[in-house]
Amino acid sequence: MTHRTILHCDMNAFFAAVEQQSNPALRGRPIGIIGSGARTIITTASYEARAFGVRTGMTVYEAKQRCPQIELVVGNNRKYTDTSAGIVEVFRDYTPLVEVFSIDESFLDLTGSLKMFGSAKRVAMQIKARIRHRYGITCSIGIAPNKLLAKLASEMKKPDGLTVIPPDRVGEVLEEMPVGELCGIGKRMEKRLFTLGITTCGELGRFSRRTLKKRFGINGEKMHDMGRGIDDSPVVPSSEKEEVKSVGHSMTLPRDIESRDEIRRYLLRLSEMVGRRARRYGVTGRTVTLTVRDSDFETRSIRETGQGWTNRSDGIYHAALAILEKFPLDKPVRLLGVRLSSLRHHVRQYTLFPDEHRQEMIAEAMDEVNDRYGNFTVAFGSVLKSERGARVISPAWRPEGIRYVNVE
Amino acid sequence: MNDINAPVRVGAVFGPGNRIQPVWFDWQRKKHTIEKITYRWQESRGAARTLHFAVSDGADLFELVYNTDSQLWLLAALEVGNG
Repeated sequence: MTHRTILHCDMNAFFAAVEQQSNPALRGRPIGIIGSGARTIITTASYEARAFGVRTGMTVYEAKQRCPQIELVVGNNRKYTDTSAGIVEVFRDYTPLVEVFSIDESFLDLTGSLKMFGSAKRVAMQIKARIRHRYGITCSIGIAPNKLLAKLASEMKKPDGLTVIPPDRVGEVLEEMPVGELCGIGKRMEKRLFTLGITTCGELGRFSRRTLKKRFGINGEKMHDMGRGIDDSPVVPSSEKEEVKSVGHSMTLPRDIESRDEIRRYLLRLSEMVGRRARRYGVTGRTVTLTVRDSDFETRSIRETGQGWTNRSDGIYHAALAILEKFPLDKPVRLLGVRLSSLRHHVRQYTLFPDEHRQEMIAEAMDEVNDRYGNFTVAFGSVLKSERGARVISPAWRPEGIRYVNVE
Repeated sequence: MNDINAPVRVGAVFGPGNRIQPVWFDWQRKKHTIEKITYRWQESRGAARTLHFAVSDGADLFELVYNTDSQLWLLAALEVGNG
């Protein structure tokens, strides 16, 4: 049986590590990265802060309770995305099969590269050394026969770890491993498996596949495989065509807001961002989805599909506004998101209506100026009144950006 | 860090290759010799690429930014006593 050799690299406390490297005074100290100044959630904590029990997602108040001396640093997403892109370039020196899982995690398929580089462990040591030398930050690496086990391995030693799970030790490693440690099994599923008497991967792998399938459908079969350390999913390079079914932007607002007027201004901003990207990719869409997260972190999304296709910012905005009327807004709003989907390639149609033509010309001119000088150099007046808000790094972020868009 | 965003005069070494290394800069009539570049990264604004350098003069920490389009240097931010 031919085994693959998969490497998983997980940057340690990535955002915090970058800030500690950037500002020597922060090194060795407990720090928490937060969004824009008014926001109060820790997005990443340094290992020194974690030693006090500070965790991602904690409020600043909670974090300060646990660690009164914690220093709060406002994050810089562009710094982190640029660093991540540089790290991915290092990976590509060892294999073209690099899958960027998130801004701080990647999978590498080294199966075809081993003859050139000797061993996976050697590649891992070189990667760690190069990242440390170039950026001064550390990572934990796992090496195993598949992605599931490689990710499990990288979790085993943090920070600055290197763990190998060879094929003949998979059973031994998984026997006592809690099922919640497997990527794809969350707290809720862990509880559901517990009701079946399953707490470890060993127990999961030995459990009746039929019963798991009956209880959880196709996921049950998948979990059974996971319990046995089986995962055939390939490492899909980020440079290959990715199907993107939508174009969207979301924004954590600088502070929770209740005023519909203010919400409309942010919607206009988001609609302009979505419209610009759609126009850049040459696509139009029929479905607009509005996402609203309130101050209690409850998130709701409503979508509407129109008759025609659009990529005009005003068209997207008006659709989002109409959807907004369906939200009760009984609590302050924390996050807004606008998404355009049901896409197709834009076919330029010359309009007979002078007003429509004029609107198209204005949009083109605005795009040209903003392409040259940066987003929102020219914008609708109401947008300029709104504060920027914290751009969320999408889980779908990739170093190359989205090149290919799946269209109807 | 405290935002400054003021144009500054910078002495830099270009090379090897396309590497740019700021060596000194003038700020408030004082010449600051860069002891260490603690971090560097790139951002983009429209068509322009900006190169960012977190630098220390041994006393304070500064963020210098070079706009590759306008070819101007900016002192973006400063943190006193953390260099």
